[in-house]
This record gives sequence, C-alpha cells and structure tokens, in this order.
Amino acid sequence: MPSARVLRILTQLKQSAESSANPERLCEVSAEVVGASGAGIMLMSHASLGGTICSSNEVSTLIEDLQFTLGEGPCLDAMHHVSPVLEPDLADPAFGRWPAFAPPAVAAGARAIFGFPLQVGAVCVGALNLYREVPGDLDVDQHADALVMAGVAARSVLTMQSDAVDGELASGIEVGSQIRFVVHQASGMVAAQMGVNLSEALIRLRGYAFANDRQVTEVAKDVVARRIRFHKTSEG
Amino acid sequence: MPRESLLAQTLVELADSLVDDFDVVELLTLLTDRCVEVLSVAAAGIMLVSAEGELGVMASSNEATRVLELFELQCQEGPCLDCYRSGAPIIAADLTSADGRWPHFAVESLSAGFRSVHALPMRLRGTTIGALNLFRHEAGTLDESDSRAAQAFADVATIAILQNRALLAAQVVNQELQYALQSRVVIEQAKGVLAERAAIDVEKAFTHLRSFARSHNRRLVEVAHDVIDGSLATADVVAPGRQP
Repeated sequence: MPSARVLRILTQLKQSAESSANPERLCEVSAEVVGASGAGIMLMSHASLGGTICSSNEVSTLIEDLQFTLGEGPCLDAMHHVSPVLEPDLADPAFGRWPAFAPPAVAAGARAIFGFPLQVGAVCVGALNLYREVPGDLDVDQHADALVMAGVAARSVLTMQSDAVDGELASGIEVGSQIRFVVHQASGMVAAQMGVNLSEALIRLRGYAFANDRQVTEVAKDVVARRIRFHKTSEG
Repeated sequence: MPRESLLAQTLVELADSLVDDFDVVELLTLLTDRCVEVLSVAAAGIMLVSAEGELGVMASSNEATRVLELFELQCQEGPCLDCYRSGAPIIAADLTSADGRWPHFAVESLSAGFRSVHALPMRLRGTTIGALNLFRHEAGTLDESDSRAAQAFADVATIAILQNRALLAAQVVNQELQYALQSRVVIEQAKGVLAERAAIDVEKAFTHLRSFARSHNRRLVEVAHDVIDGSLATADVVAPGRQP
C-alpha cells in the first residue's frame, strides 16, 4: 500500500529533520520502506573515499567495508555514474561486474543489491546501498521509494553539514559515522615506510588486505599499532 | 474521491515536491486547495516569513481569505499572527464572543462570513516559518482527525519549504563538505607520516601537529600538507627548540 509507505517516509522525514544528529534512523527506515534486508549510506568525495555514515545491520556494514577495501561495488558505481545501479542477482551479476566484491558479499548473505546516488540537484554526496537476502528486482513502488529516501538522505547530510564550523566536518556526520580515519593514518605511515606517495600507499594497503583476505580497516589498525610494516621494496 | 484517498494523495503530492524542484507558491496553493477539499473548512490560507524576516500572505484558497489575511498583517492582530509569533496552534472557536482579543480582526472576519479560525504553526526544529490558517463559517473546533491531518499538511509543507531553501545552498554546502572531508583525510595522513618518521604513536603525532599549528598561528590542514610533502621537517614539528 503505497500511501502507508509514503506516510512512513514522511514520519521519518519529520524525525530526521527534528534530530539531525541521528543518521542511523535514515538507514533503518530506508531498508524498511524499500523492503530490503538492510541499508547503508556511504559518503564519498572525488578526492577521497569518505566513509560509512550509517548501516542498519552487520551485513550492511560488511558490504560497505568490502566496497571500501576493494574499490568496487554498487555504491561506487552509483556515485560514479550518478544513476541507480541495480543487481537483482549478485550470484550471477550483469556484465560479470564486481569480480572481487560479489563473492564475499554473496557469502555474507546479499543476493540482490542496489545502489542509489545521494543526489540533490546536480550535487552528489554519496550513495545509498540496499541489499536483500533473496534475488529479485525492486518493484516500481520500491524503486520510487528508494529514490525518495536517497534524496532525503542527501538533504539530511547537507543539512547536517550546513550547521558545521567552517572548514570542519559536522559533528553529526563525524560522530555517528564510521569514517575510516585509521585507513588514512595507516596510509601516511605506509607512505613514510615505503617512501611512496599517499595514493600509492593506499593501493598497497588495499592490495595487502585483498591478498590476505582481510578488511582494509583491520589491516590499517595493525599498521597503526605497528604490528604490520611495509618495506621500501615491492614486498610486504 | 473518498476522503482517506484524497488525504493520502495530498501527502504523496507534497512528498513528490521533496524530490523534484518545485515552485513554493504553487505547492502552498495546492495545499490550501486540498485543505478545503479534505477538511471540513470553508477556506484556507498560508502566511510565510521571507528570508528577510517579513511575514507575507503566500497562498489562499480564495480571494476573501487573502484579503482577510492581508488585513491581519496590516492591523497587526489576529489568530494567524499570534500563531506565528508563539509557534503554537491558536484556535478562535467563535469570533462573535472572542472577548475582545482581536477586535478589528473579529469584525472583518465575521463580515467575510468566517465565524471560527484555526491557525496552525509551520515549524521545525524550533523555527517557525509561518502559519496555516483554516477558516470556517460555523463556530466550533475541528475534530481530532481533521486537526491531525491539518497539522500533517503543515508539517510536510514546512519540510518541503526548508528543504527547498537548503537546495539553493546545496552546491555551496557540498563544496564545504568536500573540503572538510578532504581536510580531515589530509590531517589523518599527516598524523601517520609524522608518527612513522618520529617513531611515536598517532595520538602523540596529532598533539604535535596541533601545537605547532597553534604556536605558528597556522591552519592545521596547512601544517598537515607541509608535513606530507616534506617541506616541514619532522624535528621542527616534534621538538621545536628542543632536542629531536
């Protein structure tokens, strides 16, 4: 019943507007409204990876982590193309896309996955990620509701940031989110250890994580705690 | 169309405005028309405060209402104004016995044929941006479901208007967001670089970065850039004036 869903969106809107420091609700309601098993919201910028603003459950968190580690997946594509990216069967994805992302995401329980850009006019600040435990397309209403929720999330992010101190991230974004600051710290350390620039250092970190079947965040923590070291040559 | 469907459809139409660009006056006019169709009221009008802080009549379901609201603004008294000023709903259930609260408005309203008025605030997060005013020929108050529906309309319209205003600033805010995000990344990277070079932990590295920035009266992000590109020596940041 679409009107009941719209009412839920409106209720959510009111609540999120009333308490802008609670992005968690955005993910929960996005998943509920669209009929997904879980939802996550990723913040992205052209120059850096940003991070996860919220995720509604552990699988969603893992999906965001995988995309962050591997540099591929529906959120990144949705952001890059500024268009919804729909994959109704992640076990057999169209164009054989996301060869690194798809298998572990399916293993975690995501059989269908959808990415919607967080768009306000021409501005795109990130992506909404929705997954389902069963394969299948979103129906027309669910697709429309996902677009609404992505728009709502984008505006919420911008509304939060508009209250921020000049030059700083809004506390609502920084506190509630899991922005992978540790990965950037580790990149700095790896850059100094290997004598390479920071983008090269990040690639090395991701390569190490992928090769060892670990999340880049976990590897980064080990680097910062000096349990892992990278060396000047290509080993490590 | 049955009342419930019309109510739902109105909310859907209002919600649609959240997705697309829309004309504020058009949206508010739709809202006043729908109030008359859906609720048991004879007329509806909306007063909205401008960016400059001036209250104006933005929409009304008919001319009599528009004139009445303009009159209210002119003589600076009436339930809509009180509602806007207080941010709370104001109900004038019977203007023939309004005990002299709005003497000029009561006369004007009664002569236009309206005996009762409900004024509902359009407010969000403590800010009142206007009022939705509902006029009825008869005395009395709206029933529970009508007043809830009316407040829902007012709430959604408020969100739509505020978001529309935010949209105008979206480009600017997004640039600030990108800058803030990028600055944070650069600072985190610099912490890592400095921690590695000085063989200290990242927290300690941050303390050094911050005190260097403060004592040299520079922005943290600039110092971070200089650490990363090597134009600022590790020793200068970690132990200024002391042994390395």
